[in-house]
Amino acid sequence: MKPVSTRASRRGHNEIRIGYLFILPGIIGFLTFVAYPLLSSVYYSMTEWSGFDTPKFVGLKNYVHMFTVDPLFWSSVRLTFLYAGLGVPLGLVLGLLLALLLFKPIAGVKIFRTLFYLPVVLPAVASTTLWLFIYQPQYGLLNNVLRVFGIEGPDWLNDSKTAILSLVILMLWGVGANMIIFLSGLQSVPNDIYESAQIDGATKWGRFWHVTIPMITPILLLQFITGLINAFQAFIQPALLNGSKDSVNPNINLMNFDIYRRAFGGHDFGYAMAEVWVLVVIILIVTIFAFRLNRYVHYQ
Amino acid sequence: MPQSFTIRSIRFIVLLIAALSMVYPILWMLTIALQNSDGLFKVPPEWYPTEFRWSNFWKGAEQIHFLSALMNTVIISVSVTVGQVLSSVLISYGLTRIKFPGRDLWFYLFICSLILPPIVSLIPVFYIFSKLNLFDTWWPLILPAFFGSPFHVFLGRQFYSSIPFSYDEAAKIDGANHLQILTKIIVPMSKPMIVTMAILSFQTAWGDYLNPTVYILDQKLWTLSLAIGGFVNATGTTWNLFMATNLLYMLPPLILFFVAQKYFMEGLGSMNNAGLK
Repeated sequence: MKPVSTRASRRGHNEIRIGYLFILPGIIGFLTFVAYPLLSSVYYSMTEWSGFDTPKFVGLKNYVHMFTVDPLFWSSVRLTFLYAGLGVPLGLVLGLLLALLLFKPIAGVKIFRTLFYLPVVLPAVASTTLWLFIYQPQYGLLNNVLRVFGIEGPDWLNDSKTAILSLVILMLWGVGANMIIFLSGLQSVPNDIYESAQIDGATKWGRFWHVTIPMITPILLLQFITGLINAFQAFIQPALLNGSKDSVNPNINLMNFDIYRRAFGGHDFGYAMAEVWVLVVIILIVTIFAFRLNRYVHYQ
Repeated sequence: MPQSFTIRSIRFIVLLIAALSMVYPILWMLTIALQNSDGLFKVPPEWYPTEFRWSNFWKGAEQIHFLSALMNTVIISVSVTVGQVLSSVLISYGLTRIKFPGRDLWFYLFICSLILPPIVSLIPVFYIFSKLNLFDTWWPLILPAFFGSPFHVFLGRQFYSSIPFSYDEAAKIDGANHLQILTKIIVPMSKPMIVTMAILSFQTAWGDYLNPTVYILDQKLWTLSLAIGGFVNATGTTWNLFMATNLLYMLPPLILFFVAQKYFMEGLGSMNNAGLK
């Protein structure tokens, strides 16, 4: 018996070694591109540093400045929340609506799906610069369309009332991504549940609220969380709609761009790292909150 | 229960309006791109192309040195795609098909790194690369791809967990090792997922703006995203030429999507396999 068990245990050790060998690239990547940057940024956030010289330790000075005299940073926090809070739920509702409209057979289903997904395929630099022109107050497409209905549209990007809405509309242009995931979710709901609900006398609305919605809660949550993550990572949209890193349109100055602008525009890397830490804490809180919704999720 | 004709017609019309509002901006782009200079400023506006100045595509491309930027972008995007697919396939195989202690911990760490915006690690990583004298080279854009992408690892795990383990058992009895199981059995079975990974990697690299704008100064090394971004901010932008080059820039990812659409939709559907557990 003994030789067998040694061989088995050697095999077990081997599995550990091989397993770690397979995931080694991931471990190296995690340590260099996630763990080290996060930990070192705690120190950098307490320095004065232009990015090229040696960081000079200044304690909590950056944080004190941020919390006491920096309205621009806090407005970027507020804008980012507004952007995510409006855009993500709207994206889920519209994505689900499109998926429901396309779920049952109809002429041209495949073409519709492709057309709705099309904007998602475009590189963000291309779509953002396109919308930069669509939002032009005098000659842009959006106000041209509004004029057809006799409405004089605003200066979308520079009006503080509409600027964040412009970013949200741009986000919703990519709603086809949500639609595709919802469609495959709807297809995986077993038909017999609908049938038995119908036999029990459930109306169309009843079946939607008590069968469809609970059955797709897992992907609803998944998309809610990925939507939040994407919204909190938005960079290209504010960067290109802003103009350049040396100027700032306070109405679309989202957090990621604010950090980038301070670091690479203002050569204030230490301060930017302090903002990074505030961003990380905010994202952690938001994500924990989002994951707590898991208890309302119905798993089969 | 089949829907009545009226309901189906209403559904169709709603879909038609939605599709038109999604796609029309791109057609409008083409309208501007084909006009003489200042096509944007016409009153009343033009809704569809009436002029066809195809030479705008050539002129715009010349202005931003499109061909050299295209070559650069292709080299970078293909390298990133190869790196991300290779490493993510290995990692997600290790995380699903090999049992070893600590496996789940690493998976959760990789997934957690998904929630952090790239800007968080940008500055310390920038410092490393400039210490290594790799600033203003392509290395900072390409090298990280070979260490896996958390999103692809997530996608890979969702897909690989749905393949029955009996295949592995049978192969092990025949004397296959893990690398053989991966290349001979798992990879051929996961074509839609690998195509999906490749398309997503390519699209991400093609569209990346943050990293090139931070690392690349030398205009000879510019990617298309930098060239397009620079064009739009240049004073006296000629909208028609800009729109023409912007259309050229979005063409390759569009073609790629249409060619691989069948696999791609199937691969994305696999995200739905398990949800978050």
